[in-house]
Amino acid sequence: MIEAFYDVSPAWPVIIGGLIAAAIPHHLVRKGLALLAPILAGLLWFNVPSGGHVGGVFELGGFVLETFRFDGLSRIWGLIFIIAAFINGLYGFHEKDRVADAAGLIYAGAGLGAVFSGDLLSLFFFWELTAISSVFLIWGSKTQAAFKAGLRYLAIHVLSGVMLLAGAVIHASETGSWAFDNSLSVDTLGGLLIFLAFGIKCAFPFMHNWLQDAYPKATVTGAVVLSAFTTKLAVYALARGYAGTDILIWIGAIMTAFPVFFAVVENDLRKVLSYSLNNQLGFMVVGVGVGTELAINGAAAHAFVHIIYKALLFMSMGAVLHRVGTVKASELGGLFKSMPVTAVFCIIGGAAISAFPLFSGFVAKAMTLAAVAHEHHYLVWLILLFASAGVLEHSGIKIPYFAFFSHDRGHRVREAPANMLMAMGVAALLCLYLGWPDMFGIPGGYRALYNLTPYPEVANAYPMWTFDHVVGQMQLLMAALFAFAFLVRMKWYPDEKRSVNLDFDWVYRRAFDGLARWGFAMFGRLWSSIGNLLDGVRTRLGGRLFQTFSPMGALSRDIPSGLLAIWTSALLAIVLLIAYLAP
Amino acid sequence: MSDQSGKHDERIHPAARPFLWLDAPWLKSSMMWILLVLAVGFAAVDFFHHRHEYVHLAETTGFYALWGFGSFVLAVMVGWFVIRGLLGRSEDYWDGEGDQ
Repeated sequence: MIEAFYDVSPAWPVIIGGLIAAAIPHHLVRKGLALLAPILAGLLWFNVPSGGHVGGVFELGGFVLETFRFDGLSRIWGLIFIIAAFINGLYGFHEKDRVADAAGLIYAGAGLGAVFSGDLLSLFFFWELTAISSVFLIWGSKTQAAFKAGLRYLAIHVLSGVMLLAGAVIHASETGSWAFDNSLSVDTLGGLLIFLAFGIKCAFPFMHNWLQDAYPKATVTGAVVLSAFTTKLAVYALARGYAGTDILIWIGAIMTAFPVFFAVVENDLRKVLSYSLNNQLGFMVVGVGVGTELAINGAAAHAFVHIIYKALLFMSMGAVLHRVGTVKASELGGLFKSMPVTAVFCIIGGAAISAFPLFSGFVAKAMTLAAVAHEHHYLVWLILLFASAGVLEHSGIKIPYFAFFSHDRGHRVREAPANMLMAMGVAALLCLYLGWPDMFGIPGGYRALYNLTPYPEVANAYPMWTFDHVVGQMQLLMAALFAFAFLVRMKWYPDEKRSVNLDFDWVYRRAFDGLARWGFAMFGRLWSSIGNLLDGVRTRLGGRLFQTFSPMGALSRDIPSGLLAIWTSALLAIVLLIAYLAP
Repeated sequence: MSDQSGKHDERIHPAARPFLWLDAPWLKSSMMWILLVLAVGFAAVDFFHHRHEYVHLAETTGFYALWGFGSFVLAVMVGWFVIRGLLGRSEDYWDGEGDQ
């Protein structure tokens, strides 16, 4: 333990690494930074004394900012963000894009900064930094579609930041505190604004489309990087501020269910993964909403393993995109013959997200489901069970099956680059290690995950590996697998075809856009009419003034003095009459 | 288009060659039956062993198997008929934005 570094948040080496990378033209130096910065952040994480710590406190403009709060909740999120940053650095090692290198590091660092923030102002700063830095990972694709999606992404996330700041100001004026803790409530205006700000980033229903819009259009590496931080930061923020807020249980339940239907018929496999991401967030949000120690452990453990297996799935699809040039299911198939190692990693990711026993998703999701059942939310429990079968459909089967098996399209490409395989290998190993049970008296890998949760004693007391639990899960998954084979055999499974499916983004991309265009057109017409009216008034007024004051005008004519005398007398008479009648 | 079986395709990855049987027609045609046996096998455990669950409904024999099968079919049917049927559009709907 080096005391001198106790106050240094792990966010700083990653952000500073990103800023340096932005200035360095040499590719290998930037890549070295991309790997070194997360390692330094990891050393800082391990350097913190156990039992919690608050550091990096300083005053700025009269506000006390707390940049390094290390406790049970931020500890697990901080570590997985650091691991994700390292894996991302490895995965993107072959790319020679200075902007993406810098943006990836600053974005990861901003995510870490937000997780370790102890006050709402620090949170706001890092919250906005995640938005601004990450958009470059979308624009990096250099397509018109990516540019437009990036603009929409930026607008929505900046809006989230503005709502967070407004909510924070109102909250502080009401309570006198800028602390980012569980004093937040949806029953106050400030608390509600902050809640909605978190909800946007967490892709709540009707606020979710930025995710499916932007992530599939990001660069190969960009999508992997994006999948790790933004939404899980939002889950962390909800767990920090709104644990036990009942409405989150239903929001989360809806989030687990509706993406399943969209993912079934989506042709773009990175978009399938984006819907799948939405579905997984739902499990975490339900856990936060339940709010018991077991449920918070479930949400935290789920976030940890989810970042790894979701990154693994995005990495495998990124490798396919890198080699084949497309991730459209309608154009893929048979790739296991060319990319067998990538296929194996993809299957491991699919098994982990589907929560097969011996894989990481199983040990994490179980805690959330148990917590939901303990608190008697039986309908929600059934929805989560439905969503579990849905996860298997879109991520466990659809992704590996249509990319690597199914109908062989004859793509004969090279296996993914070595650095991509190494990154996928690290993620795949973690998927297996974190799901490994106790065996022959040796603690399983899942104990390491449980020990990282905010309430490790509760996690370790949870009876994870029971016969009933394993058998029940296998019954669910095998029956769902059979359903897939049955539907395919009966030709009752929809073909993969080139198409798009409208989602809620239609409202702002078409309805609002149309309304805005109509509004501008109407405003143009109105402005033109007002101009014509003013022209008319000016012309008529000018004519009248000319007729009155010009040398030929009325006032320039000779008027008989008698007429003037008559008018003067009349006015005098009126004045006298008023004076006489006045009391 | 290359040789679909891949046996004589030199571009096939060496690590994939021992697994080309995964693409064999016999496996594709029998996969449903293999999975049926596995699904029934796991479901049959309920006949010999009473599971203890927090949710009593889940203690019903074959509950997880039926729920898994039903959920999967529901997801596919709603996705196919509701999402694709009502909300599906041609790929150029967003003026080509949907393309990578």
